[in-house]
Amino acid sequence: MQQEKLVIQSAPHIHSSMTTQKIMFYVISALVPAAAAGVFYFGLRALMHLLISILLAVLTEAVVQKLMHQPITIRDGSAILTGLLIGMNLPVAAPLWIGGVGSVFAIALVKQAFGGLGHNFMNPALAARAMMLASWPSFMTNWTTPFDGLATATPLAILKAGIPNTTALPTYWDMFIGNIGGCIGETSALALLLGGVFLIYKEVIDYRIPLAYIGTVYIFGSIFGADGLNSGLFYLLAGGMMLGSIFMATDYVSSPATARGRWIYGIGCGLITMLIRLWGSYPEGVSFSILLMNIAAPLIERFTIPKKFGEVSKKNAK
Amino acid sequence: MGIISLLIAGILVNNYIFVKFLGVCSFLGCSDQLDTAVGMGIAVTFVMTAASAVTWLVQHYILNVFNIGYMQTVTFILVVAALVQFVEMVIKKVSPTLYRALGVYLPLITTNCAVLGCAVLNIQQDYNFFFSMVSGFSYALGYFLAIVLMAGVREKLAFSSIPNSLKGFPITLIITGLMAVSFYGFQGLFQEFLTL
Amino acid sequence: MQNKYLKTLTNGIFSENPVFRLVLGMCPSLAVTTAVDNAFWMGVMVIFVLTFSNMFISMLRNLIPDKIRIPSFIVIIATLVTVVDLVMAAYMPAMHTTLGIFIPLIVVNCIILARAESFAYKNGVLASTLDGFGMGVGYMLAVLILAAIRELLGNGSFFGINLLGAGFPAAKVMVQAPGAFITLGVILGIIKLMSDRKKAE
Repeated sequence: MQQEKLVIQSAPHIHSSMTTQKIMFYVISALVPAAAAGVFYFGLRALMHLLISILLAVLTEAVVQKLMHQPITIRDGSAILTGLLIGMNLPVAAPLWIGGVGSVFAIALVKQAFGGLGHNFMNPALAARAMMLASWPSFMTNWTTPFDGLATATPLAILKAGIPNTTALPTYWDMFIGNIGGCIGETSALALLLGGVFLIYKEVIDYRIPLAYIGTVYIFGSIFGADGLNSGLFYLLAGGMMLGSIFMATDYVSSPATARGRWIYGIGCGLITMLIRLWGSYPEGVSFSILLMNIAAPLIERFTIPKKFGEVSKKNAK
Repeated sequence: MGIISLLIAGILVNNYIFVKFLGVCSFLGCSDQLDTAVGMGIAVTFVMTAASAVTWLVQHYILNVFNIGYMQTVTFILVVAALVQFVEMVIKKVSPTLYRALGVYLPLITTNCAVLGCAVLNIQQDYNFFFSMVSGFSYALGYFLAIVLMAGVREKLAFSSIPNSLKGFPITLIITGLMAVSFYGFQGLFQEFLTL
Repeated sequence: MQNKYLKTLTNGIFSENPVFRLVLGMCPSLAVTTAVDNAFWMGVMVIFVLTFSNMFISMLRNLIPDKIRIPSFIVIIATLVTVVDLVMAAYMPAMHTTLGIFIPLIVVNCIILARAESFAYKNGVLASTLDGFGMGVGYMLAVLILAAIRELLGNGSFFGINLLGAGFPAAKVMVQAPGAFITLGVILGIIKLMSDRKKAE
């Protein structure tokens, strides 16, 4: 009889073809339409930003892991994803080195310092964006129009500046396809939505967080915005809403693992985003709101742990 | 309106830990577990509110009256020390479990710069008696929020493989920095509606 | 005999540096290190208060009853702090305003109380004075290093002198709160790494 290798494991014996690499590949693919839109609208410089951010993210991870005598895991694609997201969060007119600095910070201090993949309590790309905004506010808000590259303001910035305002708001169609000023990867709601639908279909991201986030923003915007239901739509298409709700807030590690927790997390993101957009100093609140909810996520998770199967609560047991 | 503006300032916009660097030592030291953090937050809230009230009285009815303003540092810190002793006795009687849970952290509130700092700042801002207390209470709530959030994060990170050289204070400081930049979002919140 | 005193003195500067090794006195270390200038004067004041507080407490250690030792320490320290506060207000009003609330807060700087309790109350006057002075110098060294990094990266300058030129894109966050926390965290990590390596040898 042949000696077969017997693998002994306890139930359940579920096989999944999902690997980290595959997940990363799906997410990066889902981002390609938006990245391509960014390059289309903002030109070759946008592509350079993306490449520099990705390159430095991968390099930093390799160097840090080498120095810490850990196996080098750049092939799992997570560093590429972080770099891509950082690049997509930059205005095209920002200096070319800025994405590089952001990537080094994100990988070294927000990811590897905590133990690498799966241990970051905060979304590295967003944390880097916040730090870059705090460090170089003028560079990070240097918006330009698509194609022409003339200085402009984002729709949210125009709104924040108040009425009366000589700058007209762009049309909803322009905001939907991305023909507006903004960060490289965040202007085209259409491209981002396509990616999002793909990811939900492939079950890579949980629909709860984007749905809760988008729903809250829409309802809040409709009630408190100047234009009723149109306001709701405006706040969805403006700024980093689409990019944030689909690709940033859904990062597994920095969001709650429980289903109920995810609803709460999504609603929280929506509320804080609108709070900042409507009544805070900054015109855009997506990055800050997701970071703040990242911080609250462990507590949310802790208080929304579902009942274990078969567990009988004390008051029901007789 | 002033109360709400103070609450927003104390908790979100001007948070003692994330913006003003007050109370950092105890924040770093007592935030590794959620129950310790909650207990510390409650105790600090008691002491800060009471200290703000009593030091205001000392300033206005003793120091100002006898024109010995330079005695502020000495008298204020003695007030805080006495208050902590008093709060310790009260907690011991009212809730022995809380007393035991807080342990050595309770007397350490004397050296918590947030308490003394708030007392001195209240006088500098020229608040009246009521607003001094509200100020103490608001800034204490801000501390409470910060320490509880940090405890949540640190408890979760207990399962992560943080590099040895960063374990403990280094990584906690980095987390605090990241939390601080996240709180930037609250800058200017409701500014157009509130005045104080 | 001389070696013992030298050791006491240098203890506070390197092996038991209050900020980098004992991790005490965080609040002012983070707040006043936005510029080397501010860090320097805070260092000067801390050296003064620490040295004299250790000295006086050691001189009086046999007279202070154990039960009221903490309040006694506090009164002595608070008096010294009031002295530096008034002197600074008189002779350097601008720096006094810049350092603001952190001058009276030297009273609750855990370093001073900790050294009073753990060293000055139990040791001779000369040793205590040297310990206080050493710890103060160690503190000053630590905040100067922290301030140098923050001012250089956040403002392109050192002690107010613009070193890196107008073209340098200073990272403003370095002179703000998040930069302070992260810089200190990274420095502490590096120091721990270096000392772990040393132990392994």
